[in-house]
Amino acid sequence: MSEMIQTVLIELTVNGRRRALDVAVNHTLLDVLRDDLELTGTKECCLVGECGACTVSLDGRIVDSCLVLAVEADRAQVTTVEGLAVDGHVSPLQQAFLDKGAVQCGFCIPGQLVAAHALLAENPHPTVPEIQEGLAGNLCRCGCYQQITEAVLATAEEAAR
Amino acid sequence: MRTDRIGGSPNRVGGIGRVTGSQQYVADIRLQDVLEVKLVTLDCARARIISIDTSVAEQVPGVRLVMTAADLPQPVPRFGPQLSDRPVIAVGEMKYHGEPVAAVAAETKDAAEEAARLVKVEYEELPAIFSVAAALDPEAVLVQDPALRAGDPRATTNVFREHRFGWGDVAAASADLVIENVYTFPMVTHFAIEPHGFMAAPDGDGIACWSSIQHPYLLQKMLAKILGLPLARVRVFAPDPGGGFGGKQNPKLEPLVAFMALRTGRPVRLILTLEETFQAVRRTSAEVRVRTGFRSDGTLAFQDIAADYLAGAYVDIADRVVSKGSYPACGPYRVPDARIVARSILSHTPPSTAFRGFGNPQVNWAVESNLDEGALALGIDRLEIRLRNLARPGEDFIPGDTPADGDWGQTVRRAAELIRWGSPLPEGRGRGIAVGIKSGPTTGLSYSTVRLLADGSVLVYAGTSDMGQGARTVYAQIAAEELGAPLAWVTVVMGDTFSVPYDQQTSASRSTVLMGNAVLRACRAIQDQVRTMAARLYGSDESAIVVERGVVRLPDREHAILEVLKPGLGPLGGELIGNGEMRKDPEPDHPLGGRPAFFEFNCTAIEAEVDRETGDVVLVRHVTVSDVGRALNPLQVTMQDEGAAIQGLGHTLMEHYTFDERGRIRNLGAIDYRIPTSMDLPLEMQSAIVENADGPGPYGSKGMSEGALLCVAPAVAAAVRDATGVAIRDLPLTPERVWRALRDRSTS
Amino acid sequence: MHTFAYARPATLAEAVALLEAHGPAARLLAGGTDLVIRLRDGTARPAVVIDVKQIAELRPAIHEDGGRLVISAGTVMTDVASDERVRRSFPALAEAAAVVGSVQIRNRATLAGNVCNASPAADTAPSLLVYDAAVVAEGPDGTRRIPVDDFFVRSGVTTLARGEIVTAIELPLPARKMGAVHMRRTRRRGHDLASVTLCCGVDEVEVTRLAYGSVGPRPVLMIDESGVLADPAATDEAKAPIFERMFADASPSPRSMRASPEYRLAMLRVLGARALRTAIDRLAQG
Repeated sequence: MSEMIQTVLIELTVNGRRRALDVAVNHTLLDVLRDDLELTGTKECCLVGECGACTVSLDGRIVDSCLVLAVEADRAQVTTVEGLAVDGHVSPLQQAFLDKGAVQCGFCIPGQLVAAHALLAENPHPTVPEIQEGLAGNLCRCGCYQQITEAVLATAEEAAR
Repeated sequence: MRTDRIGGSPNRVGGIGRVTGSQQYVADIRLQDVLEVKLVTLDCARARIISIDTSVAEQVPGVRLVMTAADLPQPVPRFGPQLSDRPVIAVGEMKYHGEPVAAVAAETKDAAEEAARLVKVEYEELPAIFSVAAALDPEAVLVQDPALRAGDPRATTNVFREHRFGWGDVAAASADLVIENVYTFPMVTHFAIEPHGFMAAPDGDGIACWSSIQHPYLLQKMLAKILGLPLARVRVFAPDPGGGFGGKQNPKLEPLVAFMALRTGRPVRLILTLEETFQAVRRTSAEVRVRTGFRSDGTLAFQDIAADYLAGAYVDIADRVVSKGSYPACGPYRVPDARIVARSILSHTPPSTAFRGFGNPQVNWAVESNLDEGALALGIDRLEIRLRNLARPGEDFIPGDTPADGDWGQTVRRAAELIRWGSPLPEGRGRGIAVGIKSGPTTGLSYSTVRLLADGSVLVYAGTSDMGQGARTVYAQIAAEELGAPLAWVTVVMGDTFSVPYDQQTSASRSTVLMGNAVLRACRAIQDQVRTMAARLYGSDESAIVVERGVVRLPDREHAILEVLKPGLGPLGGELIGNGEMRKDPEPDHPLGGRPAFFEFNCTAIEAEVDRETGDVVLVRHVTVSDVGRALNPLQVTMQDEGAAIQGLGHTLMEHYTFDERGRIRNLGAIDYRIPTSMDLPLEMQSAIVENADGPGPYGSKGMSEGALLCVAPAVAAAVRDATGVAIRDLPLTPERVWRALRDRSTS
Repeated sequence: MHTFAYARPATLAEAVALLEAHGPAARLLAGGTDLVIRLRDGTARPAVVIDVKQIAELRPAIHEDGGRLVISAGTVMTDVASDERVRRSFPALAEAAAVVGSVQIRNRATLAGNVCNASPAADTAPSLLVYDAAVVAEGPDGTRRIPVDDFFVRSGVTTLARGEIVTAIELPLPARKMGAVHMRRTRRRGHDLASVTLCCGVDEVEVTRLAYGSVGPRPVLMIDESGVLADPAATDEAKAPIFERMFADASPSPRSMRASPEYRLAMLRVLGARALRTAIDRLAQG
């Protein structure tokens, strides 16, 4: 039904855990992740879908969570940076980010990692231009782009062995 | 060799938190009962505030405070690292686009935003000054109240200060060729991905303040002064900044949130939007006139440099940027006669502040570009003219200053080799090469405490802010090296002025050298105690025992430190505590208040291709070589160098504020202020380092986090010129600007 | 962000009724990559936000129907760019969809939304014009098919009537072979708003269709049936007057901070010539 409502009870699965909560219709998925679910790994920066710091995976596709109303995520599967580790161990990609020196201040890294995980899921053997294009929506002001690309490449190569 | 010792590249200490999302930046910290703050700003560049009506805003459910200047102690306290000119909140006149005139604290962000919109400000928009020319117009209004600079003859002008440096007699100097040009450097912003965040809370009879700040101890001092509290009642928490680049050095809105916390008796929190950060911090833009005298063999005869830097409405640290940035303006060259006149000029723009490179990239852009003009006019190779004029190691190239502290020719030759200088290029391509130097810290004071615990693990206390440069990792490596602990057994404690001893600041690429030496000395103090222990345990004479790099050497045997520590401490356990101090005292007679601890030296070489129809510049190859003395962590050195280089590509190719005719910033935010993405990199980037262990830091290291940014612009512009024959003297080199230059040349 | 009423109709009829009832006080929410920015910065303050993503008829889908490729209103750029039929029959549209924002944006932004915003800089508009696409709108008075060229008025304004909702974009499957390409100018190589966006298509009977945007209040389509532009042997001198006629309607805003009118007009010509060459090459390659 289409009644007019200003808060909505939504159900979503975040990092494998089902959550049900009332959300204000004018709050974004980013607001709800950070403020209501206290998953502060997802970062807030530009709020116009340009920087990618708030990148999460929504039903298997990466989005800028600052541009998704929380209510739009009703019944969705959401993965944030907190959901990338496996059994308490960092993922090979997370480890590669550390090994290759892809992390300086770290503020963009959650978004970079979620985007890079999605990129590898879709394209297990990306070329350098494909990585650069695929991650262009994630700004890094420390300028770790080269190292991030190397980390993604190395992870892909390792997985292919 | 173990990778976690000096010279190895272990994983960043603190890296796990950064890749799992558990690292807590200011905005991630949840305080109980926190009130959310929203600033009230006006959509103009300058205004007289007639009245502020907060009554409607106060009715918004959840609003606890709407603060204006009237709610503060009178006169409203002012602060600033160079001059106490910035009010806690605008008083009477709003002096730049974005300066807060009121602030709301409410139970929720929604309520704070709603109420901020409902604060009714009656104001009269006033004409604003936002260019050097307008500021210098004799009829120009004064940006600053002259009363703030009582006794300063310039207080009745918009020139904050004029610095005159130099040596010899430029007026009398002769030259075979004189080249004179004006170069401009744009207004750009830091764009740290973490917007600035501030929190404050009453803390007993004192205050606690959280800030993503590079200088927590300066903030502590400043808050103590403004609030009339002893230092020991002002606790500053400084969580790792999510990128600083200079923009988080000095206090900005912390005093405001502190007053709001005290007034409400509640914790308050203000996280800026990215747009608000654009209005909080920026680099000082500049217009630089360079007159260079050359002898016919290419040696420099004189440099005559006049640099006008446009600072903002409050001085912040901008004038220091001007003096320190322009002092070495002649570059790393032998220049017989030099005159440098640099002015910091006030305007109705956001206060400009420190930004990686600290005033040097502006003059470097001009002086290096002008050097190319001379080389071309004289028919001398552009690499050769640099090698010919470079100061030799130990040479007193700036009279009275620190002598040349590196083999700079080695760095330049390496860059030339990597860019294949002199080899043939396809049509449409060109190469450029440029060098940059920057003075390191001129004063400094860092304390560190190191605790060697009973099991051999180590706690290092260091008041540096780790904003990505990797200070924590380097200190852990030093402690691991000296005390023989595995890196995983070393914890570095930072970011709390109540538990970590004083550090002057995190700036000027100082932290490896100054705090690094303090950590090293604290470790040595522990080694001394271990030596005493070993003498006692083994009945040896202390003078016959050497403790170094984790090992205790007795005349007849060697032990790991831990093997001495355990029996030495005895059954009660305990620990050894070492303190280290690294001090670089001011030299009052030096124009900058002290000689630099070291120079950062970099050579950047570019190969570029230019699309003559569109003006697109494609960087085919970007080479950056830095003299780092000794790379304590080579991977981190590479990251700093390449990161600085990429940041430099921003102001070189695309970044600049755009103002409307009334002085409002039009491109606030990420949509129309473009910074480099992963697709804007050079097709190939190569960084290399020169290591001669000739630095003053631990193991011969030098500071190095800014070098690779210094001369990106002149190197790129030189490559564009080489490819097209067109010299461009304004940054950034946008496609439109390059296209225009090519068109103007072909029509002229 | 101000608050508003949120509606999530399940059927087209419900959505149309809501739109009719609220008129300009309602805004449709599809991908949200434009609307949510406006809700936050206050340039849009609707009383009602109608989320169209649960409407069955609008669900993401690309299918062929009676000689047309139908792209439902809920289809996002990622799927437009990667769809085999789009890439085969409408490669310039796939190219345009592939450069709209970042991956994150393309995963949310819909083709229909891009059209409905009627931004002069909309990257998909020139190719839709070249391919003679139509907007399918459902309203109180039934279904309308509006040629894209009759749809755009100016930024944010279209010829949609009150109560009408776009359900799909339709492209007639080409009866003739065509070579086409999308090109654009931006301030950096990473994602950016275009300062010129352009599509050129040349077909086997030597008709050249050239459409461009970001150089005036709305995207423009120009057609050359003389065969001169399509002729690989034609000289630049022969083409020049035709190009000039085609570009005569370009009137870039002097207020834009992305590029000056002068540069945009010059780049329109550069891109036009380059796109024509590529389109001819592609036609030849089949």
